[in-house]
Amino acid sequence: MYNIKARGVLIEGNKSYHDITRDVTNPLLAKKTPSWWWITAFLATSMLIWGVWGFYNTITVGTGTWGLNNSVSWGWAIINFVWWIGIGHAGTAFSIFLLVLHQKWRTSINRAAEAMTIFAVMAAGMFPLIHMGRIWNGFFVFPYPNTRGPLWDNFNSPLFWDVTAISTYLTASFLFWYVGMMPDFATIRERTTSKIKKAVYNVLSFGWAGSARGWLRFESAALLMGGLTAPLVISVHSIVATDFAAGVVPGWHSTIFPPFFVVGAIFSGFAMVLTLMIIVRKVYKYEQYVTKKHLDAITRVLTFVSLIMGVAYISEIFVAWYSDSPYEMFVFFKNRTVGEYAYSYWAMITFNAIVPQLFWFKKIRSNVAIVFIISILINIGMWYERFVIVVTSLSKTWLPSTWHGYSPTATEIAIYVGTIGFFILGILLFLRFLPMMAISELKGINKETSIVTENTENHE
Amino acid sequence: MNNQNQILGVFDDPDVVTDAVKELVKHDVKIKDVFSPFPLEHVWDLLKLKTRMPYATFIYGALGTASVFAFLYWTSVTDYPLTFGGKPHNSLSFVVLMFVLTILSGVVFTLATLLIREKMWPGKNNPLPDHRSMDDKFVIVIEQGRDMDDNDMNKIDELLKQNGAVEVNRSNV
Repeated sequence: MYNIKARGVLIEGNKSYHDITRDVTNPLLAKKTPSWWWITAFLATSMLIWGVWGFYNTITVGTGTWGLNNSVSWGWAIINFVWWIGIGHAGTAFSIFLLVLHQKWRTSINRAAEAMTIFAVMAAGMFPLIHMGRIWNGFFVFPYPNTRGPLWDNFNSPLFWDVTAISTYLTASFLFWYVGMMPDFATIRERTTSKIKKAVYNVLSFGWAGSARGWLRFESAALLMGGLTAPLVISVHSIVATDFAAGVVPGWHSTIFPPFFVVGAIFSGFAMVLTLMIIVRKVYKYEQYVTKKHLDAITRVLTFVSLIMGVAYISEIFVAWYSDSPYEMFVFFKNRTVGEYAYSYWAMITFNAIVPQLFWFKKIRSNVAIVFIISILINIGMWYERFVIVVTSLSKTWLPSTWHGYSPTATEIAIYVGTIGFFILGILLFLRFLPMMAISELKGINKETSIVTENTENHE
Repeated sequence: MNNQNQILGVFDDPDVVTDAVKELVKHDVKIKDVFSPFPLEHVWDLLKLKTRMPYATFIYGALGTASVFAFLYWTSVTDYPLTFGGKPHNSLSFVVLMFVLTILSGVVFTLATLLIREKMWPGKNNPLPDHRSMDDKFVIVIEQGRDMDDNDMNKIDELLKQNGAVEVNRSNV
C-alpha cells in the first residue's frame, strides 16, 4: 500500500540516531530559556489576562454583557467554539489518520499537531462553559443521580452528545499524546544531567525501558488507541454540526452539514499545523526534519480539501435554489451573497475556496512565506464560515419583526483573545518542556530499512 | 536486579542487531531481551513474541457498548421515562452515545492494560542494563543459565562479536 520510495528520505542531512536525540532534546534541556520565548509568553499572558477579565465580567454580571439578543442568541461564543474545535481536529486528523494509513511523513509533525489538539480543544471547551452564564451550574450536564426526580439528561439531544463527544475526544487525544511521549521521556531521563529533571522525567516516563516485549505491547496499544480515536474525528464534528442541522433555522437545516463540518475542521486543522510548523522549523532550525517536502505534502492536502469546501459552498447555493423554499432562497440570495453580512460570505469563499487553489502552482507551494500567509488566511476564512452560518441565519429568520443585527461587545472579544492567549501559552510550554518531535519514531524512519514495509509480517 | 551474570551485546545498527538475533536463535542461545531506542519489528518475530492486546481491546469495547446501552435503557425507559417530541423511549439515537463511549472505554482500558502488563507507574525506578539503549545503541541481553559455565559464556561473547557487536559487556542489572 505504502511505498517508502515515493517520498524519498524523510529526514535530511544524514542524521545519526544520536543526532536525533540531541537535536530534539537540546532545546528542552537548555538551562536558558530564549528571549523570544519570554516575549511571546508575555504577550500571550497579557491576552490571557484580558480573557480572564472577560470571564469575570460574564460571571459576575451575566451574558447580558455580550452582544446577544433574542434573535441572535448564539454569537461569538459558538463561532469561536466551533472554530477552536475545528483547529483541534488537526492533531488527530494528522497524527492518527496518517498513522492508520501508514503515511510515515507524519512523523516529525504529529507530536506538535497533537499538542495543538489538546490546547485547542481546551480553548473550545471554555465557550460552552461560559455561555451557560451560570458556570457554577455546569455540572448539571452530567448524568448523575440527583434530587430532581431523578431526572436524567435528554440523551437524544445533540447538545448532550456534544458534551460527551468533546470530553471523550479530549481524553482520548490526551492519552494518545501522552503514551507516544513515554519513550521520549525515558530518553530525556537518561540524557539529562540535572537531578531534578531526571526525577521529573522519570515520573513522566512511567519507568519505560524499551525492551522488545515492551515495544511490542506499546506499538500494539498505540495503534489500537489511534485506530479507535480516528472515528472520533468524524463523530465529534458531525455532532457539532448536528447542533445546527437539528435546528429548523433556514440555512442550518440541511443534511450536508455533518460532512461539510468535518471537512472544514480538517481543513482548518491542517492549516493551523502548517502555520505552527513553519514557525517551529524556522525558530528551532528544524528544516532537516520538517523539510520542504513535508510542507509540500500538507499544501497538497489543503488544495484538495479546499476543492471539497468549494463544492460544498456551491451545492449549498444550488440546493437552496433547487428547494424553491422562499426562506432558504432568502438566506442565500438576499442575506449571504448580498446584504449586511456579504463581506463575511465573500471572505469565506475567497479564503477557503479560491486562495488555496494557488497551491496548484509549484512556485507558490515552495515559497514558505506565501504558504505561511495562506495558512493564516485559511483560518481567517474558516472563522468567517462559522460567522456566516451562525449570524446570517439567526439575524433574519422567519418573522421580519424579530430581525435583529449582531455585533460583539468588548467582553466577547476579550474572551476570544483570551483563548488565543491560552492556546499560544500552552504551545510555548509544550515547546519548552516536552519533546516536540517523536524521538523514537524519528529514529524508526531515519533508516530506510528500519521502516516496516508491506511484505513483512504484520504485527498490527 | 539479580545476582546472575548477564551478557550485554551492544550494537549500533538496527539491521545488524536483527541479523545477530537471528544468528543467536540459530545457535540456540536463549535471549532474555533486546533493548532498543525504537521498535524492531523483525526481532519480535525472531523471539516469537506475541501480544493479545487487540483481543483485550475488543472486549473493553464490547463491554463499553453493552454497559452504555444498559445505562441509557435504565435511565430513559425504566427509571424516568420522559417523552421528547413523541419519540420512542428506547431510541435509535442511543447509538451516538454508545459509539462515542465505546471508543472511550476502549482507549482508556487499552492504556491501562499496557501499563499493568508492562508494570509501569509514575516514578518507577527501572535501571537499564545499558542506558545508551535510549539513545543510539541496541542491546541484546543474555542471562547466564544454571548450566552455563564461563566457557559457554565466552562462546556467546565470541558469537556476538562475530555478528557485529561493537561492545560486549557483563552486567548484573
